[in-house]
Amino acid sequence: MSLNDPQWGKKGGGNGPPDLDELWRNFNQKLNGMFGRKGGGGGPSSVRPPSMRQIGGGAGMLIALVLVVWLASGFYTVDEKARGVVFTFGKYSDLTSPGLRWRLPYPFQAHEIVNLSSVRTVEVGYRNNVQTKVPKESIMLTGDENIIDIQFAVQYTLKDPLDYLFNNKRPDDTVLQAAETAFREVVGASKMDFVLYEGREQVATDAQKLIQDILDRYKTGIAISRVTMQNAQPPEQVQAAFDDAVKAKQDLERQKNEGQAYFNDVVPKARGAASRLTEEAQGYRQRVLANAEGESSRFKQVLTEYNKAPQVMRDRMYIETVQQIMSSTSKILLDAKSSGNLLYLPLDKIMQMSGGALAEASAPSGQSLVEPTPNPNSAARSRDALRDRQRESRP
Amino acid sequence: MMNNRIGIVLACVLAAVVLAGMSLFTVDQRERAIVFQLGEVKEVITTPGLNFKWPLIQNVRYFDARILTLDTPDAERYITSEKKNLLVDTFVKWKINDARQYYKSVGDEAQAQTRISQTVNATLREEFGKHTVQEVVSEDRDVIMKVVRERANQDAKQIGVEIIDVRLKRVDLPQEVSDSVYKRMDAERKSVANQLRSEGSASSERIRAEADKEREVIVANAYKEAQRIKGEGDAKAAAAYAQAYGQNPEFYAFYRSLEAYRSSFKDRSDVLVLEPNSEFFKYLKGPGKGGK
Repeated sequence: MSLNDPQWGKKGGGNGPPDLDELWRNFNQKLNGMFGRKGGGGGPSSVRPPSMRQIGGGAGMLIALVLVVWLASGFYTVDEKARGVVFTFGKYSDLTSPGLRWRLPYPFQAHEIVNLSSVRTVEVGYRNNVQTKVPKESIMLTGDENIIDIQFAVQYTLKDPLDYLFNNKRPDDTVLQAAETAFREVVGASKMDFVLYEGREQVATDAQKLIQDILDRYKTGIAISRVTMQNAQPPEQVQAAFDDAVKAKQDLERQKNEGQAYFNDVVPKARGAASRLTEEAQGYRQRVLANAEGESSRFKQVLTEYNKAPQVMRDRMYIETVQQIMSSTSKILLDAKSSGNLLYLPLDKIMQMSGGALAEASAPSGQSLVEPTPNPNSAARSRDALRDRQRESRP
Repeated sequence: MMNNRIGIVLACVLAAVVLAGMSLFTVDQRERAIVFQLGEVKEVITTPGLNFKWPLIQNVRYFDARILTLDTPDAERYITSEKKNLLVDTFVKWKINDARQYYKSVGDEAQAQTRISQTVNATLREEFGKHTVQEVVSEDRDVIMKVVRERANQDAKQIGVEIIDVRLKRVDLPQEVSDSVYKRMDAERKSVANQLRSEGSASSERIRAEADKEREVIVANAYKEAQRIKGEGDAKAAAAYAQAYGQNPEFYAFYRSLEAYRSSFKDRSDVLVLEPNSEFFKYLKGPGKGGK
């Protein structure tokens, strides 16, 4: 028994977590005292009363200490965005909200912390960066048996910590699996062009719904908050052809625009030309009409005068006209009747000389009168006189 | 005396703890447990919490009560009804329904997974054989998954397992087929590009032609209008002339002729060759008699 005591004490000292220095020092002193008395050679019975008290006090304190530490191990904190789940003998017993919480220590109760509100992300078809592709996940078959390369990310939060914890082994892996199968199903039901261009949003929405359905069926307690298509493109092998097709579409637009530009250039010009034509025609009409009116008016006035003395008027007009003609032109007067023989008339020479020099008529027989250049002044005068007369006779 | 008492108490506590450790056990919320008595299944515990067993003669095995996943890393080859190969990757969600049956028939998870994957593969193979690639990829994907799930579930009951879901992940063409698909896609795109380009030049040409037509029409219409206007002017002028000249046609002929003579012979280069016996030269030959 006496041998037992120090061992027991030592054991207790070794086990107790000595976080309080003073307690420890006290405890050591007591132990030393005990050994010292023993070394004094007294029998165990002789020193029993004081040592027993000391041992009893030391063990009690030790037990109390262990008890405190044990109870303190039941404290835990729950973060603001998390929930604590408490198990009693392995059975779920409580869901605790954020703050400092206490549960019964091991082996009676245990707890787990579930992070609720932080958004988790699963990347499908790539890791970290869209450039680092995972072809095994990203290459898919479309409904029209084409192959397409898609990268997308799924963001999710937990809506039920209990479901999340209890119903599935590795629920986060399940999200990746559900995302893969759902996306492939949606893409498999769509045409390639739809997925690539106009239907991107639609595909992501459909996939999100399907992923949620699947996860709900497994009761994972996970809520999909967003499915984003990072990239959807034809595989590298056919990328060039696709790019060219896009370019061709732009070429189409460009050519249309060029045609339209030509249209916009030509048609207004034609309109301009058209209005020039009609304007000119209108001008012509005005001119012709004005001429006609002017001339008829002139004629009518002359006619009025003529009617008063027709013969005199006729003679005067005739003579004046012939005079005017005669005075302004070159002329050759010959009595053709009296010259029976052939007459030689060098007209071309006369024409040459009519520039100003005297024109000689070489008529070998008969009379010929070649008048030199008439005085232009007299001709001009007579024309003016005629004009004046006409002006006077106008109403 | 005191020493003795403490020792006894401590010994008792120790014994109690050891005994409790041997006879009490907890079943987690996420587990099922089977209690064996000398190797024989004595009890299946499905409710979590603290439980009792006889020490030494009874022992306990735990099984996962959650949904487990069977996800094979490699895709399997399947043949469709039109004898085409497809690489198919699936995953199976399953859980232990009947722990006793499960333990008896398969024992552990690895065994169970092997068994399940055999069943699922066989069923899938059969189903794929009934469908075309097109149906597998898009139209009947759901149906296939459902049929396989139901049949696998039927079979899995024998091993105390419930198949929650069988889903197709990848359904891909083998590499050699993929290459020809790429070639086809390439050709398709090229034809699309060509079509777009020729459509482009066609529509450009059409717009240009339309512009040319428009121009012709506009000009022709304008010409028509111009001619009409001119005609109108001519007609009105003619009417004016007729109205004026009609008053004395004979005088008009005389008057107009004189005017025409005047404008015809007005230049020095016009040469007149005349006989003096015209009316104009009547007096050139002699004074004549008064009157006619």
